[in-house]
Amino acid sequence: MTLLNIVLIENDLNSTLLEYGLKGAGFKCLKTQHSSQFLEVVKKTAPDAVIFNLDTPSEKITADLHHLSQHFPLPVIMFATDITVEAINQVIKAGVSELIVNGLENNLPSIIHIAIARFNQQQVLKHALEEARVQLEDRKQIDRAKAILIKTRNFTENEAYHTLRKLAMDRSITLGEMAKNVIAMAELLK
Amino acid sequence: MKTFIKVTEIWVPDKERTQLEFGSGLYGALTDFKAASKQQRFAYNEGLPGKAWAQRRPIVLTEFEHSYFMRTSAAKQAGLTCGIAIPLFSGDFLLAVVMFLCGDDEGHAGAIEVWSNTNAADMLSVSAGYYGTLHHFETLSKQIKLAKGQGIPGLVWQNTLPILIEDIGQPELFIRGLEAQQAGITTCLGIPVCSDTKHTYIMTFLSAQATPIAKRIQLWTPDPQGERLVCQQGYSKNSNDLAQLFETLTVTKGEGALGRVWLTGMPVISGNHESSYTPELDNLSAMLAMPVIENGRLKAIVTFLF
Repeated sequence: MTLLNIVLIENDLNSTLLEYGLKGAGFKCLKTQHSSQFLEVVKKTAPDAVIFNLDTPSEKITADLHHLSQHFPLPVIMFATDITVEAINQVIKAGVSELIVNGLENNLPSIIHIAIARFNQQQVLKHALEEARVQLEDRKQIDRAKAILIKTRNFTENEAYHTLRKLAMDRSITLGEMAKNVIAMAELLK
Repeated sequence: MKTFIKVTEIWVPDKERTQLEFGSGLYGALTDFKAASKQQRFAYNEGLPGKAWAQRRPIVLTEFEHSYFMRTSAAKQAGLTCGIAIPLFSGDFLLAVVMFLCGDDEGHAGAIEVWSNTNAADMLSVSAGYYGTLHHFETLSKQIKLAKGQGIPGLVWQNTLPILIEDIGQPELFIRGLEAQQAGITTCLGIPVCSDTKHTYIMTFLSAQATPIAKRIQLWTPDPQGERLVCQQGYSKNSNDLAQLFETLTVTKGEGALGRVWLTGMPVISGNHESSYTPELDNLSAMLAMPVIENGRLKAIVTFLF
């Protein structure tokens, strides 16, 4: 089995409990403190997961997690000792896969594997949702383009669809992209 | 696709009709120049649009530095080196001034000319022109004289209608065909722009394959009954079946952008006014529709699609 790479962000660099726990369980671990270089470090090392061990997440950490989730999504596990309900909501929103409060004594490997599995599942759902959103948007554009062709050219719905499809095929672009072209052309003459 | 024309503007008389104010414009990514232009106003005989208004003829200004051009610094920053102002009149009264601004970099081949019969009443010659880097072609063009019906400017003069020639390698139509081909020019658009009892002015837009004047040019004319506008011709470097589809439409007065040009006699810019260009709209995202008016009646509409 390949060794999983973990970036461990420690509040206190003298704390060794998690670091030894990870290494003992066979993970590769890079321990550091949170800094302005955090996103750079993560992008450079491209770990399998990021673990935070903190008292409470700062606003900067939450902002960095948001950025990470948008541009470089990874499983993120956070151990915290003192966290408010508001902060819990914020870090979950920022893409933390697993949040454990006062739970360092738990089974570390299981936590990491569960977090990775949950993260992967979330990513699948996220992609499916994005795909559905794009399809819905395309559908709306296609309907609009068909309506334009029906109105301006007196096409039947079937003729409008086939014209749109032929135009898209000739250009090797999707039906949605072609629909945008038709709409733009109609806008010019509007 | 790079086009020869970098900026297109419409300047219109203000409420008192004593000054020109910004109507609309297409600036692409030249947002600073756009910002500078929107603030600008021109009195009669002031700046390039004001001069075109006062002199009742198209003006080509090939040097902005130390000239009456009023946005020299902004134009310089935007890489614009030449301006063409075309006044559109109905009788004595100015409707609008259409301005084209071009760059002078090596990659831009093409020419814009003004032909007029100011030197000899029965002959046209180049009274002004912008040739970019085509110096030899410029020298040759300035030596030529054309009678009514001769060459593209002469044909435009004879018919008082715009003409679009897609292949200028026909010497009977385009006297400078060989030289133009050597200069990389392939297409010519001729438009009658202003005329009075004494003088006539004709613009020619000579377009190279690599940097066409516009991405597509269309000529629309009213049908014989004067009820609908019909597209007589559409041309672009790459065939465009979507544009062709829309060119089979006919337009009634007041309907859409072209119908508004017919109704009001005013040029129109439509489409993407923003700098954020949508690349997936692979071809046409903005349009200038310019009326050709004779004796107060619409003869044709020329559209430049970008």
